Amino acid sequence: MTDVTNGNAAAKKIRTTTTRAPGLLLSYRTEAAIAAAIVALMLAVGMFVPAALSMGNMQNIIQAAAPLIIMSLGVFLVVLTGGIDLSVGSVFSLTGMVTALAMANGADGVTASIAGLAVGLVFGSLNGFLVTVVRLAPFVVTLITYAVAGSLAFIVTNGRSMPIGAPDFWLLNSGELIPSVPNHLLFCIILMVVLEYVLRKVVLGRWFYAVGSSAVAARLLGIPVLRIKLAAYVISGLLASFAGLLTVSYILNAEATAGSSLMLQAIAAVVIGGASLFGGTGSAIGAVLGALMITCIQNGVNLIGVNSFWQGSVTGAAILLAVLIDRFSNKNRL
Amino acid sequence: MKTKTILLAAVATALASASYAQDKKTVAYIAPSLDISYWQWVGYGVKEKAKELGMDYVEYTSENSPAKQMDNARTAVTKGVSAIVIGPVSSTSTPPLLDYLAKQKVPIAFAGIGPQPGLTNYTSSVTANNYDTGKAQGKFTCELAKERGGNKVGMLSLPQDRENAQKYLKGAKEAFAANGCDLVQMLETRGLTINEAVTQANDLLTANPDIKAIYGMYDEAGSGAAKVVETRGLTGKVGITVADGSPTTIALLKKGAIQGIFFQEAVGQGIDGTQQVYNALTGAPVTQDLALVMPLVTADKVDSPEAQKVIARVFPPSN
Repeated sequence: MTDVTNGNAAAKKIRTTTTRAPGLLLSYRTEAAIAAAIVALMLAVGMFVPAALSMGNMQNIIQAAAPLIIMSLGVFLVVLTGGIDLSVGSVFSLTGMVTALAMANGADGVTASIAGLAVGLVFGSLNGFLVTVVRLAPFVVTLITYAVAGSLAFIVTNGRSMPIGAPDFWLLNSGELIPSVPNHLLFCIILMVVLEYVLRKVVLGRWFYAVGSSAVAARLLGIPVLRIKLAAYVISGLLASFAGLLTVSYILNAEATAGSSLMLQAIAAVVIGGASLFGGTGSAIGAVLGALMITCIQNGVNLIGVNSFWQGSVTGAAILLAVLIDRFSNKNRL
Repeated sequence: MKTKTILLAAVATALASASYAQDKKTVAYIAPSLDISYWQWVGYGVKEKAKELGMDYVEYTSENSPAKQMDNARTAVTKGVSAIVIGPVSSTSTPPLLDYLAKQKVPIAFAGIGPQPGLTNYTSSVTANNYDTGKAQGKFTCELAKERGGNKVGMLSLPQDRENAQKYLKGAKEAFAANGCDLVQMLETRGLTINEAVTQANDLLTANPDIKAIYGMYDEAGSGAAKVVETRGLTGKVGITVADGSPTTIALLKKGAIQGIFFQEAVGQGIDGTQQVYNALTGAPVTQDLALVMPLVTADKVDSPEAQKVIARVFPPSN
């Protein structure tokens, strides 16, 4: 009880420090810089291909970015606590295969989706358990689950891609719970706002920052470090699964390799968004903007007609730029 | 006496089994990776043909690593396989492999991807005729564009560092030029997934709204393009052709979302490659280079006996 009281006090202290920041823009200056960079990038692409600035292209970008955004939010939580989650791409793929397999065996869309989300829950819990209870290094643990989930994605259907039979399943991604707002956009907004609010304004959220800043200090202050880390991995697994579900709902097909390139992109998005791989910094908004930045780069490269093999180099340059900006802005702050 | 008879019978049986085991040949299939359906289907062809020819079958995967590929070949030889059918990691990875197998006197057939040009120390190479297919698909794609009132076409390509992709492109470009079509943009895949193809097809049509037909160089490209064309309400207004073929694209062909599939006979390549190494082992004539034509199947002919015969050489019946 005393520990919890101390933990709350510590969290309040951290929160108070945050609210003392001189202004909203200043506290989100990294995010503002990324947003400005995205706008500049799109304007630059628009100079070559005017259609880049069309509403249709904006919708394309949001659709393409949605799974990455959702996955990045989960990875961000893990990174925030000083961990890493390499399993998200494989969990993404396995979720799609399990969902499609469940439907092929007669399950309705809701049941199949629950089966798909269970993949994220199981792998997220396993990651969290091995990191917090068995105390294995996060890199090693998630490398193992990355390999296992990736392998299972092939095993469950013998490597075949699976079409989705349920006629209404597309509604999950492309339906409109709010008129004129496609569900994938709505989910991204809700997840980002909820996560950002909890992390900034709720004591529990501040614990994530505290654990990432110094797990030892957080423990001394009574913060339940292990439970916070476990929660981060579980949420990351669930969000990776949800991203997989959205993609399957969009293309109405599940592929065992669907998420293979997403893991690195999600980590890159988190870093571009201002999070430190050492933990304790960053924001959900930053992760979303990082994912958007990567998608805009891919979109711009495609629209201009640059060889797609350059995408990796351009993304690498964006990460370097983000890290340098962050480093020098922190230096100036000191 | 009785014990002696039993012992003699046991020895005779053991010797007969050993002799049979020595006679029974084994074919090894070395795939570049088994996470792509295509290479599983080639393996199915090898396995089925091996069964038909009374051969045993073993399978290895190189995980896209030339070093692992070489290790697999050495392991297979150590295990005493009689012949190898391989889908190599790349054409350029084949010279040391062929040198090694030539020394071991193990016949080798290539399936899907051929050896490095200029090499001759292999038994057989069974590949698709990518150049002629590129030409035929290019011509068909151009016709689709013209039927839809334009001459602009777009392409979703395999990575152009692959020899087969370069041949497809060369053939397609010649066909576009000969038939009055303009290839306005080509995007190369990195991940070979439908999701990536959806993004690329979207970008292709955003940058070039006057495109009237899309040339898909691989199966997922066709599925991705069909999804985008349908989402944008352009079904019938933008034609789609695709190479390779799978149950997914056949379903889209039947739906009218894709207008033509140029089938690559994955199972057939496995069958023919196995037949060639078997011929080499038994002294029968061998054809060193077999470039299989990729037949076009359109929606109106997909259920015909001819098309079904083609499809049986593309993927296993369980698909």
